[in-house]
Amino acid sequence: MRIGLEIHVQLPTRSKLFCSCPTTAEEPNSSICPTCLGFPGSRPVLNRKALEMAVQIARFLQCRMASEIWFSRKTYFYPDLPKHFQITQYDSPVGVDGNFVVGGRAIGIWRVHVEEDPGRIKRVGRSGEEVSLIDYNRSGIPLVEIVTAPDLTSPDEARNFLNELLVELRHIIGTSAGDEQSVRADANISLGEERVEVKNVQGLRNLERALKFEANRQQKLLEAGMRVVRETRRFDEERKVTMSAREKESEEDYGYIGEPDLGVYDLRKISIGLPEVETPLRRAQRVSAHYVVDYDKARQVVLTSMAMADLFEALAIAVEPEVAMNWTLGPISASWAQLLPRMSDQVTKDVVEVVQLVVTRQITDSEGRRRIGAIAAGECPTDISCAVQDEVLESLIAEYLDGHPQVVKDYASNPKAANAVIGHVMKAAKGKYNSQEVVEATRKEIEGRKG
Amino acid sequence: MDIETVRKVARVARLRLTPSEEMQFAQDLEEVLQYFSLLDEAPQVETHDFNPVRVADILREDEPSRDVNAERLRDSMDTYNDMVRGPRLS
Amino acid sequence: MSCCPSPERLIQLNERFRIFSELADDLSGLQEYPPRPTFSAKDSLCAVGFQARAGSRILEGYRPPFDATPVWRMRQEGMLLIGKTNMDEFGFGTFSTNSGYDVPRNPFDEDRACGGSSGGAAAATSLLEGHVALGASTGGSISCPASFCGVLGLTPTYGRVSRYGLIDYGNSLDKVGLLARDAATLRTWLPIISGPDPKDPTSCVQPMLDLTPRRVERVAVPKEAMQNLSSGVEARFAESLLRLQEEHDVLIDEVSMPSLRYALSAYYVLATSEASTNLARYCGMRFGVRNSNISQHFNDFFSETRSANFGVEAKRRILLGTYARMVGFRDRYYMKALAVRQLVISEYKRVLQDHDLVLTPTMPFVAPRFSEIERMRPLEAYQADFLTVPPNLAGLPHLTLPCGYLEGLPVGMQAVASHWEERALLDIAERWTSRFHVRFPEVSL
Repeated sequence: MRIGLEIHVQLPTRSKLFCSCPTTAEEPNSSICPTCLGFPGSRPVLNRKALEMAVQIARFLQCRMASEIWFSRKTYFYPDLPKHFQITQYDSPVGVDGNFVVGGRAIGIWRVHVEEDPGRIKRVGRSGEEVSLIDYNRSGIPLVEIVTAPDLTSPDEARNFLNELLVELRHIIGTSAGDEQSVRADANISLGEERVEVKNVQGLRNLERALKFEANRQQKLLEAGMRVVRETRRFDEERKVTMSAREKESEEDYGYIGEPDLGVYDLRKISIGLPEVETPLRRAQRVSAHYVVDYDKARQVVLTSMAMADLFEALAIAVEPEVAMNWTLGPISASWAQLLPRMSDQVTKDVVEVVQLVVTRQITDSEGRRRIGAIAAGECPTDISCAVQDEVLESLIAEYLDGHPQVVKDYASNPKAANAVIGHVMKAAKGKYNSQEVVEATRKEIEGRKG
Repeated sequence: MDIETVRKVARVARLRLTPSEEMQFAQDLEEVLQYFSLLDEAPQVETHDFNPVRVADILREDEPSRDVNAERLRDSMDTYNDMVRGPRLS
Repeated sequence: MSCCPSPERLIQLNERFRIFSELADDLSGLQEYPPRPTFSAKDSLCAVGFQARAGSRILEGYRPPFDATPVWRMRQEGMLLIGKTNMDEFGFGTFSTNSGYDVPRNPFDEDRACGGSSGGAAAATSLLEGHVALGASTGGSISCPASFCGVLGLTPTYGRVSRYGLIDYGNSLDKVGLLARDAATLRTWLPIISGPDPKDPTSCVQPMLDLTPRRVERVAVPKEAMQNLSSGVEARFAESLLRLQEEHDVLIDEVSMPSLRYALSAYYVLATSEASTNLARYCGMRFGVRNSNISQHFNDFFSETRSANFGVEAKRRILLGTYARMVGFRDRYYMKALAVRQLVISEYKRVLQDHDLVLTPTMPFVAPRFSEIERMRPLEAYQADFLTVPPNLAGLPHLTLPCGYLEGLPVGMQAVASHWEERALLDIAERWTSRFHVRFPEVSL
């Protein structure tokens, strides 16, 4: 079995690819303009952020990067495509010949390029007679298309591949997981000679279902001695089956020409200053190798939160990595929801200190757990250290208020007057305290002075 | 140009031609394409310059804004529940 | 600025010469004192308050929600837009006879064409005092009608004027420009409409418009341009060359530019290829003519609207352009044409290195009769553009100047300058018209 994927990932830019329409919209057809509607006389202008994200993705996938790129018009007629051509990249992808390793296997990445999304069609009416209703909010949303080699060998592997890929890509471009809307895939699957394309499958679960159904369908045909027809199919989400999609197979010759309205782009200029980000799974690999800990455990940490991985690495320098991992996946993970918003250099220091005290047997294991819990709850783990801490904080605040008595007066009518103090103290303390602590202490001090 | 080719091109371009139009265009296109064969004599140069002057690196910052009233645009189209009506799909 | 016509005279002139596809509803601005200076815009330029139909039935009813940038910039200067001028459908034509609305008539002889595709713009400029017209050129659509109607026509460098709001014919070939009665008007309005516009990336690469004096001293005349001319045009052009030498101290060199012979084919391949994609959006949905029959399959829905509302020339060019970029033909036509364009540009650059301008007649004949045009084969009509197409293909700025008359009908000569050197064109325009008497038609209604 050979499976190849053409994955379309929506980029989380704030405006569309070729116009300034917002990419988030509530009501249908509320984020539209002459450009994304293809009105006569309108013209595309390329979104810098979209191009940057595409470069980062292609680089991450180890592609050979183009030095100069341009765009092309792909002409075809369908109600969701306002200009009846899509601006895409035909003969100038951002990167080619890359790979992505999953389960120890390197899956080939043929190309990565940028293109615009068409609108979203809703089919209404009886099957076989459906008319269309279209929402053009999606028209012009930036997409990165990633085309893999047909190196995948099963629906499970394909699902796994896509899942891992998305974990990494999301970290690079900054989308949140669980947004099934933003990823669509076309899958090419062949059991024998002929290749069947299943188009426009939305989300991981549907992809797995579509591939399993299709693999099964082809298997049955071949077992019965029949031929698999080379065709385009689509996946019906409700009935969970693939169906022949003959409607789009009428005469279509994309007739690619260059897009003169946009010109060319020097990718080297774009690349300079674009940071290379360490993605979660890469980090898990590095952490696992460097600290000699279980990869699966490292993976669990990064998938929970990169901030947890930061905390682990700080611990792993101070104590045995195995011990660090146990504490991370144990008490720290248990309190993570509360701990995450409080994270700061000081909190990191406190946590490391607690674990060190346990390791050197100065406090018991259960006392250590209690103290971690206390830090997560924002309480002082021991009376002594917190008192010392509070003193420094209190004196910073007091010093500022002594020099700016007006603040106390202004605070009576406008609580935002406290912001000046908070800002000053945060800067002066250089990260010793998290913002919550400073806000509480400041308010306490000002209220105390109001008298 | 033969009629079959004219028909094919017309289908791709979503033009419905009458039989007399097909014949007329077959003749017209034949004449013009014959003239275009002059291009075969010109030397080939590898180029992906799509403009006569170099247009390079013109980008827009990722700032959302609304220049034209979306509601007015929507109202100018044929809609049902704010969705634009389109023809049959299959 | 000399006086503009009264609304009554304007309407009468329009009735007779079919200048405008749409006149402004409110022409009271013409009767203000001091009179507001007027301009017109080719109907392919979007203007709020007017339809924008680009000479095509398929855009009937389209009221754009924005101004084209050049229109907006003129309006910002207080100019009154009096109407949208008639043109060949989407710019497809050399005589404005392919209009889906009215066909404008030559102010010097009503049985003759204005030229195209900015025919209405040229007629307006020729007939209305104090008028300046916005036109657009893809292969010569400013030069040709300006030449046939005896006015000045300036086509700036590709990318000099924003195309935002210009209904597309060919994106790598379209330029917005000016038709005027004198050089001073061109000098006034070129800076206003020029300049980068963030809404059109191709307008953002220009060096700043430099109109400091540049004296034209040496001019090249390619021998390839001196073939297939009517004898009258040849004679007037030869006389003009003599005048340039004797009255204006300009040196004339005959040169050879062999790649010019490929320019026409390359132009029509690129223009129709781009146009066939630009016109794909016209389908009966979203704007313009609407098709209410949604129970049709979408292919039939689209085909029905397009076939019923595109004119013959539009269909012809769509077919040509679609063919030229289809699998199996794309390399031979589209890709080759791209290469030939670079060849033609190099040829001009070579000649313009030691010459200020390249000079040729604008059109090979004077304005033809409508009856003659009807008998032309499509290829014949295309070949009439052989003089205007080369600078248009190369994106070079060019200017047509009236340079003589043949039995009362205007003859034009075309000056081509280097990219971004519009100032050389203004120089020759000012010097030439300081001695040459430009005639305007005397029309009694």
